[in-house]
Amino acid sequence: MPDTQSLVNDFVIKLKRRKVEGSHATARQTAELLRSVISQQRVPYTNQAGALIDAVKAVGEQLVAANPVELAVGNIVRRVLHIIREEDISLATNAIGGLGLSVGSDDEDDAAKDDHPALSAAAVAAAFRSTLRPPSLHALLEGVPDSGAVPHASSSGGDSEGKSKSADKSTRSRKLKHDVIEAINELIQDIDTCHEQIAEQAVEHIHQNEVILTLGRSRTVMEFLCAAKEKKRSFRVFVAEGAPRYQGHVLAKELVARGLQTTVITDSAVFAMISRVNMVIIGAHAIMANGGVIAPVGLNMVALAAQRHAVPFVVVGGSHKLCPLYPHNPEVLLNDLKSPSELLDFGEFSDCMNFSSGNGAPLLHVVNPAFDYVPPNLVSLFITDTGGHNPSYMYRLIADYYSAEDLSLQQRPASGN
Amino acid sequence: MWRRSASFVLDKQRQQPDESRTERLDMSERPETLANPNPNPGISAYYETRAAHHGVVTSDWLAQAQAAVTRDPADLTLEKGLVAPAASSSGSAKAFSVIDEFNRWRKQPDLAEAVAAILALTAVIRTSEATTMMELEIELKKASDSLKSWDTTSISLTAGCDLFMRYVTRTSALEYEDFNAAKSRLIERGEKFGEISRKARRTIAMLSQDFIFDGCTILVHGFSRVVLEVLKTAAQSNKLFRVLCTEGTPDRTGLRLANELAKLDVPVKLLIDSAVAYAMDEIDMVFVGADGVVESGGIINMMGTYQIALVAHGMNKPVYVAAESYKFARLYPLHQKDMAPALRPIDFGVPIPKGVEVETSARDYTPPQYLTLLFTDLGVLTPSVVSDELIQLYL
Repeated sequence: MPDTQSLVNDFVIKLKRRKVEGSHATARQTAELLRSVISQQRVPYTNQAGALIDAVKAVGEQLVAANPVELAVGNIVRRVLHIIREEDISLATNAIGGLGLSVGSDDEDDAAKDDHPALSAAAVAAAFRSTLRPPSLHALLEGVPDSGAVPHASSSGGDSEGKSKSADKSTRSRKLKHDVIEAINELIQDIDTCHEQIAEQAVEHIHQNEVILTLGRSRTVMEFLCAAKEKKRSFRVFVAEGAPRYQGHVLAKELVARGLQTTVITDSAVFAMISRVNMVIIGAHAIMANGGVIAPVGLNMVALAAQRHAVPFVVVGGSHKLCPLYPHNPEVLLNDLKSPSELLDFGEFSDCMNFSSGNGAPLLHVVNPAFDYVPPNLVSLFITDTGGHNPSYMYRLIADYYSAEDLSLQQRPASGN
Repeated sequence: MWRRSASFVLDKQRQQPDESRTERLDMSERPETLANPNPNPGISAYYETRAAHHGVVTSDWLAQAQAAVTRDPADLTLEKGLVAPAASSSGSAKAFSVIDEFNRWRKQPDLAEAVAAILALTAVIRTSEATTMMELEIELKKASDSLKSWDTTSISLTAGCDLFMRYVTRTSALEYEDFNAAKSRLIERGEKFGEISRKARRTIAMLSQDFIFDGCTILVHGFSRVVLEVLKTAAQSNKLFRVLCTEGTPDRTGLRLANELAKLDVPVKLLIDSAVAYAMDEIDMVFVGADGVVESGGIINMMGTYQIALVAHGMNKPVYVAAESYKFARLYPLHQKDMAPALRPIDFGVPIPKGVEVETSARDYTPPQYLTLLFTDLGVLTPSVVSDELIQLYL
């Protein structure tokens, strides 16, 4: 498949050169790329889901390695893997259900019944299901793989299953791919509409005559504020400019164009103004599994200021920003150092950065990190496209969106290229 | 006084109007546990076992434990006498006692108390002559109640009994089968549970490896099998780390952990319990086990855990708890004295003057806001997930 390979390579180069900006665009393009990878992937006769998963994992690994800081790539790859697993199981259970077995839709029933070694498809499905379902106290006693004590119903089911399976197979393979692509299309649509869904909740959170503070520019925040304005709320917005990129200026312009009362402040004035603020609303780069946030630089300071004055600190972001990883060492692993040219004018400072002076190293260094880590205890509320959530509730959303076994993509050596 | 505000305290006062405070707490258990044959009310049975398994034993303690053990057979026959009538009233007289069975399992040092309870309840099913599910349930309920009241102080015992009862009454896999098949399935699952508990420790050890990085310093408190497994796994995967062990008075369980770690060539430093704040600045994380994890997400653990968590919180160090999920208990303590205190003797080395009270409670409650993450076999959880899991199971 030279076709997909070149697509993948193009995207990898774009990611490496940081040509794709923002988690929204990255998520969307990743999903589209994976969709074409899946549609081009030839599936073998048996274990199609496995083949698809391997293909996606191989591509996903390259993409993640191309830009490890952009967590949205990994998130989407994992989402797609989860989709494949889910579709495979729903097909498998449909097949079993179609054979007239008295298999209810209840998870536990299936898992308990399908232990028979001969029942390959059902056993695979059951095994998958138990991995898809996050482990719980309830399953603690149920989930023991047992060899004996198989009820008679399932062994008789195994025989009839074997006969009709071969006829079923060819339609199944096409169906799986079709269903997966369908589901990915839905995912892309979700990514596209997440801003609107988040913005719909704006009136519940922004009240009349409130003062809102934000830093930098986030499209989600912008649409959130505008949605409240459109519903006839009148409120004021303080925009911290977000040095060194000054995206706050852009946001202020956009807000004024929509008729919002806007005040621009410097980043260093946040603490001075925070006592007048009713709520801080910011956009995130990524939301971690423990409820911590990777956000544009400067936001930890804002969060601390907000905590000092007990101002609610609200984070808005689509579910593609939800990352199933824990920030073990966020400052070290998940930060991006940007070009110093954003901070300084090279012409003016060329003397200080003279490589020929002294021992060959310039005396002036410029560090321009892109992100801050805001710990979960500083966040009051997350607003995602599925509603408002407490930071400690993030694990639950993650359990819904991702399979536990996809958490590390790097485990197997790359086989795709 | 603040204690008066809680209604349960008022109840207790009504029962025991003239006792002094500490005595009142342990005395007040008696009315509800009249059938409680616990041989030595001054010592929690739970801690007795723990000490037998893990303690670095002091002479005084040894003497007391010895006394308790030698008294055991007589008391156990007494227990049989007490339990058997209850069982025979349900129509099946037999020379079998859950508590005997439980104690037999409990002797195995590798087996957690909750697992021992489940194994004991499984034995109840095996010996039961019930012919319907309902009968079996009633019998089990009686057995689990007598187990629970035998040692009210053990949280994991209660949690294990509750978990198994829940499994028996709720499991949907049973609805299809006839009674004998259901019974054999229950027995089988119960017997496999010991396996699960061992596997749970492995899972927890694997999950926590990501959190132990090269060059880190870990503070541990007391002796916990799970924590030992975690550290052992880290040492075996050639991680470089240092461990500070608290001494863990009065039974000095920390010494035993230090002992085990030294065998693994992990650099260990022993601290006295009061040196925790002094040493906190060189520590990267605190690792503790738990006797029980309660619904709020807080933990009940060996005395001193709370103050370590407070110090760690004050100095912004993460506190990680390693606990198997069968320790999740349906309790919601609101403050330290909200649970039946597990008592244990304390040897000060000198005679205590008459009239001086001694705080003999063996454990404290650490509220969830001082814990960072819980490593369980269900995954790495934030404290609030615990209540979620419990609600899913018991609601």
